[in-house]
Amino acid sequence: MARYVLRRFLTSVVLLLLSSILIFLVMRVIPGDPTLTKLGGTIKDVDPRALEAIRHELGIDRPLPTQYLNWVGGILHGDFGQSYFSQFPVTTLIGQRIGATVELAVMAMLFGLAIAVPAATLGAIWRNRVVDALLSGFAALGMATPAFVTGIVLIIVFGLKLHWLPTQGYVSFQNHPFESVKTTLLPAITLGISVAAPTLRILRTSLLEIGSASYIRTAQGKGLLRRQVVVRHLLPNASIPALTTVGVIVGHLLGGAVVVEYVFARQGLGTLLVDSVFQRDYGVLQALVLIAAAAFITTSLVVDILYGVIDPRLRVNPET
Amino acid sequence: MSAVAVDPHTDIVLEARNLVVEFARDREEPVRPVRGVSFAVERARRLGIVGESGSGKSLTALALMRLLPGRAELAAGEVLLAGRDLTQLDERQMARVRGGQMAIVYQDPMSSLNPLQTVGHQVTEAIRAHESVSRHEASDRAIELFRDVGIPNPERRAEDYPHEFSGGMRQRVMIAMAICANPEVLIADEPTTALDVTTQARIMDLLTRLVEERRMAVLLITHDLGLAASFCDDVHVMYGGRIVERGTAAEVFRSPLHPYTEALLESICRLDRPIDEPITAIGGQPPLPQDLPGGCSFHPRCPHAQARCAAEAPVPIQVGDQVAECHFAVELKAARS
Amino acid sequence: MSAVNPTVPLELPSRGVRDHVLSRLLRQPAAVISLVVVGLIVLGTFGAPLVAPYSPTVSDYTRLFGPPSWSHLLGTDEIGRDLLSRVLYGGRTSLTVAAFATVISMLIGIAWGFVAGLREGWIGEILMRIADAAMGMPAILLGLVLVAAFGASTLSLILILGALFAPATARLARSTLLAELRSEYHLAAVSVGATRTRIVITELLPNTLPVLLARASLVAADAIFVEASLSFVGLGVQPPDASWGTLLQQGYTNLYRSYWYPIFPGIMILVAVLALNTLGDSVQRALDPSRS
Repeated sequence: MARYVLRRFLTSVVLLLLSSILIFLVMRVIPGDPTLTKLGGTIKDVDPRALEAIRHELGIDRPLPTQYLNWVGGILHGDFGQSYFSQFPVTTLIGQRIGATVELAVMAMLFGLAIAVPAATLGAIWRNRVVDALLSGFAALGMATPAFVTGIVLIIVFGLKLHWLPTQGYVSFQNHPFESVKTTLLPAITLGISVAAPTLRILRTSLLEIGSASYIRTAQGKGLLRRQVVVRHLLPNASIPALTTVGVIVGHLLGGAVVVEYVFARQGLGTLLVDSVFQRDYGVLQALVLIAAAAFITTSLVVDILYGVIDPRLRVNPET
Repeated sequence: MSAVAVDPHTDIVLEARNLVVEFARDREEPVRPVRGVSFAVERARRLGIVGESGSGKSLTALALMRLLPGRAELAAGEVLLAGRDLTQLDERQMARVRGGQMAIVYQDPMSSLNPLQTVGHQVTEAIRAHESVSRHEASDRAIELFRDVGIPNPERRAEDYPHEFSGGMRQRVMIAMAICANPEVLIADEPTTALDVTTQARIMDLLTRLVEERRMAVLLITHDLGLAASFCDDVHVMYGGRIVERGTAAEVFRSPLHPYTEALLESICRLDRPIDEPITAIGGQPPLPQDLPGGCSFHPRCPHAQARCAAEAPVPIQVGDQVAECHFAVELKAARS
Repeated sequence: MSAVNPTVPLELPSRGVRDHVLSRLLRQPAAVISLVVVGLIVLGTFGAPLVAPYSPTVSDYTRLFGPPSWSHLLGTDEIGRDLLSRVLYGGRTSLTVAAFATVISMLIGIAWGFVAGLREGWIGEILMRIADAAMGMPAILLGLVLVAAFGASTLSLILILGALFAPATARLARSTLLAELRSEYHLAAVSVGATRTRIVITELLPNTLPVLLARASLVAADAIFVEASLSFVGLGVQPPDASWGTLLQQGYTNLYRSYWYPIFPGIMILVAVLALNTLGDSVQRALDPSRS
């Protein structure tokens, strides 16, 4: 088991390295000169010496490999580089905003699972056509509704009409736990619903497939009640294929977070990303994409390790 | 409509009366893969139901346990277990019966065990489903069961996962699971089909021993005539959703009444025939449940078929101790002897 | 004891796959409903010049933020333009972008998948690895990065969307292709001596197209979804063009003045995506009766 974990970890590190190179190259190949962004003008009305100065300041006049190494070296020291648009180092910007995004993501995931898992389980226990139709209908509806639409609806209902919850802004958890939860609640519910829909669908498919497995028949033949069969035999086995799609779920989570933060005017990494796209702030963009890649690679690593924990078949044979 | 000749003094543990299994279809007539099946199994006796794929034998077994899949349901009939009609029970009561008084062993030991749990745990779960004992005591009992069914080194093996066992060993685990609550009837649905011949023999020996030791009745479902002949006391032959012949194994295999049984036996590849003699097969295909021929369902393939066979469904006719559903059972028996 | 039996003639199942697929499709109530809905949407939006009660750009300064009324069924916006007309014309933009994006992504995807499938070896592997990596990231994130690279305009949006959805189509195209290559009638064609191009044209394409086309509906739904998201944050369709996403954004900006403003474009997006998703699923189910 330990060997398995080690191998997967090493693979992840290599993958991360490759991603960083790819991101770096792509950013350099993009049309559009970042120095112009910094100066805020077009190429005609700019003093060439100022251009050179900026180039030097941003480090763009060095050869590519040097730039790459500087960048990576900086990251390993916690320095994500310099924002092209604002005065702040990227690390500061990220540090200011990461709390908002993480809190949102965690709460949304909890909401999403709290909706999807019980719904899928009950659907498997009751197994009647009306329940099935309702569940798949809900899942389809949830997947068709963009998160910002749900968000706007929730803002209207809970914010504007009922005045129960704040509809924008962010308070950090360390400062004011209660206020923080209040500001995070609506966005988290919005994103949670958005994530619950695909999760529900995947779990249902998984449960359906496993439901016709032979050992389910055996469990029934032993004299177990339906709910015992579902909880003890169906669910654990169904979670294995469902785990594969955790990566997809995290993807939905991160992608949705961008839009949800925008709707709720929440200063998180999502809004930072949108702003940096508007401003062509490649310094920030580069760092954010790398972080996103790291998030996915980490997720897939964790999932693979979880596989090893849940499924005894994988532990025996490390060649997986 | 029970056509079974039963000695009233013997002990019938399981009786099926006129079972009809219906399979609903979208916008079309439902099909009936099982059309009125009746039989009885006595204590410590071994009854074999033989038939080709599609004859409805596996569905019959599932119907007894009320474990019919998906759109299939028991449309009519009764299942009497020690006199009690199982079709009248609610799900909770039926769950107590399953694995308790009546147990089932399936065909594919490779996938019939939960891959994520140790075999010991799975058998322990079966024990505790029918008796309130502590986990510790249940797992001790499980180990004893493993020993009883011939799994070597049971204490250690109980901690192993299904994928660490061979097919034959897994089937032993399944059997241990099935007999843990001392059922009166064990249904074995093609228990050895997925195993090699040597393992097959050993598993059947195990079942024989269990029958004798525990006075357990066995209902063996199989397409393997040789298996039925060597293991079963009584044999019923199924075709097109009905039982077309009944009798003791000896009688059915030595002097079959029904033309289908006769043809089946003829088609067995025998070692004492000349090597260049063509293998006889029964022409045509077994009928699909949605496309049954009128009258006697076997008549399109029957060498003795007459006009009456296409028009009129046969009723069971008793000849001696055997019963066959054929208009000409008596005549054919006479012609053969 | 006689053992000779009459021979029963072999009955071949009837060919005519296309009739069966269509009838199977139409038997699903969900498919019929979604087909009708999609049809209505297409008619309403592309027929906007005929259907819309007002011009989408004409302002009525006497009615700013007017609520839904008989003269303005969906109300009016911040400069008095009729929302119903704007939603209809906006739909035209959204659907046009989605349609072009779908076509481009299908073309790229099929070519990508077929090349990867036909050329076994490391080229195929690399192509597929790239597709996998692209599919790993959520569409919105990748879309944002591409917009950062290539700028936000309607044209670049179409190209970006096309590129975003190509990898998934490529994977599907490749796996369908590989399944075909292993099929028996392909072996028969090869053994008869048909050239590769001929096989591709006469056999591989017609047999793989239905499955791939079923995906088109799903791709279109995704395209509408992502376009709306990008336009909503201002990085998609640019003014003066309007799409459902931009309308939603305008509604959002003015949320405190009128609740219904963003609701209708939102509902349109929802309905369109849902209908296209359902249609795509139904077509896939009709093509493969073993899944249901």
